[in-house]
Amino acid sequence: MKNPINLFLLFTLLFTSTITFAQQADDLVGVWEPSNGKVRVKIEKIGTKYFGRIVWLKAPIDSVTNKPKVDKNNPDEALRNVPLKGFRLLKDFTFKSAGEWTEGTIYDPENGSTYSCTIKMKNKNTLDIRGYIGISAFGRTDVWKRLEIKKQ
Amino acid sequence: MLRKFFFLFLAVPVIGFAQIDSTNNQPAEEDFSQYDSYNLVDKAAKKYCTSKVFDLSPSKLISIGYDFQGGYDLTTDTLFNSNSNQYETQNAPGFSNIQFSHGLRLALNIPVISNNAIIVQLGANYAEQRYQINDLKKGIAPNDLITTLKDNGLRTTGLNTTIFKPFNEKHFLLFQASADLNGDYGFNSINLKYLRTSAAAIWGWKKGDRKMIGVGFSRTYRVGEMNYIPVLLLNYTAPNRKNGCEILFPARAHYRRTFSARSLALFGYELEGQSYRLGSRNTSAALQDLELRRGELRIRAVYERSISSFLWLSAQAGFRYNYSFDADRLPNGKEFFRGFFGDQAYAMQNTLGNTFYCMVGINLVSP
Repeated sequence: MKNPINLFLLFTLLFTSTITFAQQADDLVGVWEPSNGKVRVKIEKIGTKYFGRIVWLKAPIDSVTNKPKVDKNNPDEALRNVPLKGFRLLKDFTFKSAGEWTEGTIYDPENGSTYSCTIKMKNKNTLDIRGYIGISAFGRTDVWKRLEIKKQ
Repeated sequence: MLRKFFFLFLAVPVIGFAQIDSTNNQPAEEDFSQYDSYNLVDKAAKKYCTSKVFDLSPSKLISIGYDFQGGYDLTTDTLFNSNSNQYETQNAPGFSNIQFSHGLRLALNIPVISNNAIIVQLGANYAEQRYQINDLKKGIAPNDLITTLKDNGLRTTGLNTTIFKPFNEKHFLLFQASADLNGDYGFNSINLKYLRTSAAAIWGWKKGDRKMIGVGFSRTYRVGEMNYIPVLLLNYTAPNRKNGCEILFPARAHYRRTFSARSLALFGYELEGQSYRLGSRNTSAALQDLELRRGELRIRAVYERSISSFLWLSAQAGFRYNYSFDADRLPNGKEFFRGFFGDQAYAMQNTLGNTFYCMVGINLVSP
């Protein structure tokens, strides 16, 4: 190991695997659409964790109030006027292994509930997002697809 | 100098990490109009309708409840032997005042497959009906039916499955099947002769987020006897998101009032019943192969609210109207079909009084 070539190879290996690991982790970053097509969610990396917020709504206006939709079902009354556009509904995901992010939560504005959540990347443009209560068996999986900006 | 840079290098990510506020739901504003021009990279995921409409009462994953019925009278007839075309006079008519009846209700539903293309749920359920009978009318001996109700009560222990299969954004198939052991058995005397099976299949249309309808057919014991009937499904929520209905006719129909995403009330009715094989713990020959057809109409008000995250409290009260408490003697122990129009004679025609009832439960509800 004292051979400088071996040392160089070891550092190169460590360096490239670290970069590969970071790249795999950041594959999650981007804009995604759930299967119902009602929202678009931008997933970002903040610090070491991943967060997702609503950046687009198919129906941005509340049909009852005729105003932009807000988080009216939030269990915390003080937060019920927070606009849904820009709302952070995926939180605290950490990269576990290739194609899997865990320890996060997903919020459902339809009922104001927050679920435990895991994300699995089926391919680079498809996610399986599973929200669950307590144990994974008590949950539901949705398919999200990657979006990119239109090419001119 | 180098040491200072080293500490600075360490401090920056630490400060950056400390500044993450995961409770902040509303990060800095940005120009959201840019996201109008985003397109799917691959073809879109196939869109399927969901099994719910807005504000539908939550489906229960785990449910623990207690059912209580107030006092009522039970008058039982003399057994009729259709083979000999005679009454079995050794088993005299009986009368009893049931102080109250009550019982535990447990249900577990596990979604073994749950994604947007299909939901397959497996479940188990247990329900009991215990009868508190103290006042036997003087001069009239308790007959065997009253005795077994008093001593053993009625039990249902079953397994079931529910499959929701959407085919696209509009059409879906809903299938339910259950296999229940119904009778006056104890857990050490369970036997397949208590097995009764029910099933229903519904073809449905999802008309947006607020309405789903369906038509289908079912084999059911809801009014006590085995029957084959058409069923209609309608789940609807009004545009104001306050009013709606949840109907699976004829089994149940409710008007729904939504107070918030975490509380609601239902007003309507439910048909409840089963067919119970008797005689498991009573050596009386009179009870052998006797099948009690219990069916009742529950006109009720239900209040449900979230008490903690996914735990919901359910309380209901109403009037329990007896539809059937008659009994059949099964020929060779085999079930038969009478339907609404069959003329087979009952072995025992009984009269059950009507009463108020209430039920409370705590539920873990589904995402």
